[in-house]
Amino acid sequence: MISAGTFHVIATELTVGTFALSGVAFLLCALNKGPSSKEAVAHWALLGGLIATPFAIISGVNAISGEGIDNPMLANKLLLSMTSAGLAIGLLLRKMWGSTVDLRHSSVGMISVALMLTTAGIGGEYSRGETLLLFIPKDTVMLFPMWASITIIALGLAIFAKSAVQHRS
Amino acid sequence: MRFKIAIVLLLMILSTTISTANPGGKGDAVRSRDCAGSCHGSSSTNGSSGAELAIQFQSEVYAGLITEIETSVSFAEVSSNNMVGLTLLINSDGAKDLPANDGWEIITDPNGGTNNYVEIVDSFSLESMVSQTWTLRAPSNPGNYNLYLAIQHGSPNGGIAMTGISSMQSVTVSEVPENLPRLADDWQPVNSRLLGEETEITLETVNTDSVIVELQSGGEIINLEVVENKFTIPAAVNPGVVQWRVILDGEGPTQTSPWFRLSAVEPGWEVDETALYLQGFALLILFAGLVLVQKPSSSSEVENKYGNTAEVNSQFVAIQEESQTQTNTVRPLPAGGLPEGWTMEQWEYYGHEYQGGIQ
Repeated sequence: MISAGTFHVIATELTVGTFALSGVAFLLCALNKGPSSKEAVAHWALLGGLIATPFAIISGVNAISGEGIDNPMLANKLLLSMTSAGLAIGLLLRKMWGSTVDLRHSSVGMISVALMLTTAGIGGEYSRGETLLLFIPKDTVMLFPMWASITIIALGLAIFAKSAVQHRS
Repeated sequence: MRFKIAIVLLLMILSTTISTANPGGKGDAVRSRDCAGSCHGSSSTNGSSGAELAIQFQSEVYAGLITEIETSVSFAEVSSNNMVGLTLLINSDGAKDLPANDGWEIITDPNGGTNNYVEIVDSFSLESMVSQTWTLRAPSNPGNYNLYLAIQHGSPNGGIAMTGISSMQSVTVSEVPENLPRLADDWQPVNSRLLGEETEITLETVNTDSVIVELQSGGEIINLEVVENKFTIPAAVNPGVVQWRVILDGEGPTQTSPWFRLSAVEPGWEVDETALYLQGFALLILFAGLVLVQKPSSSSEVENKYGNTAEVNSQFVAIQEESQTQTNTVRPLPAGGLPEGWTMEQWEYYGHEYQGGIQ
């Protein structure tokens, strides 16, 4: 058996690697340059990263040496990775439902990738105390009250359902 | 060109150096010897540490009771960060070598934890000796036991992980005398507390008539008041360590416990994890929905830099309109009727050219 820490490293490498590849492909899509396979690469790599993300999150939580989430950087990592995953899911569904890869689509893809790479950067600072992300306020956590999160979930589901109907029709 | 690239790659490979150490340490943990050192390289790339290592036991070590050992490191030539990893082991084989395998329990390691591997930053040098204190609970079965002290550290020039292990240090664990005043077998000291909080400790003793608790703080030793085997250590203002010990008096010989270390740490950061997870899920749903709610753009509507569909369409419409215009405005026949050899259909299409030629 391997420890949760080692498994977290494996899952993180997969996530960051595939997201980074997707980010480059989305950049080429936005610039309308490069090979014609760039759209496929962008979305398949994004899907790969998305599959690896839950493993990275769960193994990361299990690998924490203390009891639970006891550092604001860990909380920010969780929120950033979930936001990035949300954007990625939206992009993949949008593509699956027939939308084309225009500048806006590519930009959202790059934002998703940037959020995931920021998450990885914060992880580096948490474990090694060093980072290039010097100016990001990593010690400040914006935590909603419980009712606000529930409201947002309801709102998100409503938007989700509405857009699904629109795309189907 | 390929040959030049191959030469450059070869030079790059040949210029690499073998780095085997973890310069920043790996963190305190319960570790076997084979994992306590440089896990990034094979043991064949390690250097041999010239440090002298020793373990000092108390004069009497009783089975199942708490005891104190002192480890010392002399003549260690370390890297610039002055960090040394110390491992307490029961053999030098690299397997089944944890103190727990012989029944030892680490109550407090030199850093205030309960690990057999600790990383110490101190003034290690060829001229100095650095000592550390460990509080252990001896194995519950009397007998002879062995302990080893292993060391890992960097080298002054970097690049090589230095390892070493002490000679076997034996200790006799004796059976507990029947009337020996002592702390109860299952009693555990508190190792850490938060800043600003008083710490009340309840002692559990056996064969003890009276106890005296001594607190050492800043080089000064003071006696604490003990009421019904309970005493209170005052709150700490700053992070740090205070030490205390208990002197137990009873029918048997008076016993003095090891110094117990109590670390004061700043309160940790706390968050409502349920709210955090819920917010993470909410953000996932919200942002996925926001991306999806964008109006889909069909591929047939999108222009690209090579597309000229609109231009072709507009030209086609223009031709059609022109043709329609021409059809609707058929020129009147000349006074002599159709030109010779012309049909009416030809006149409808080319009549304007005929009239233009005459004019």
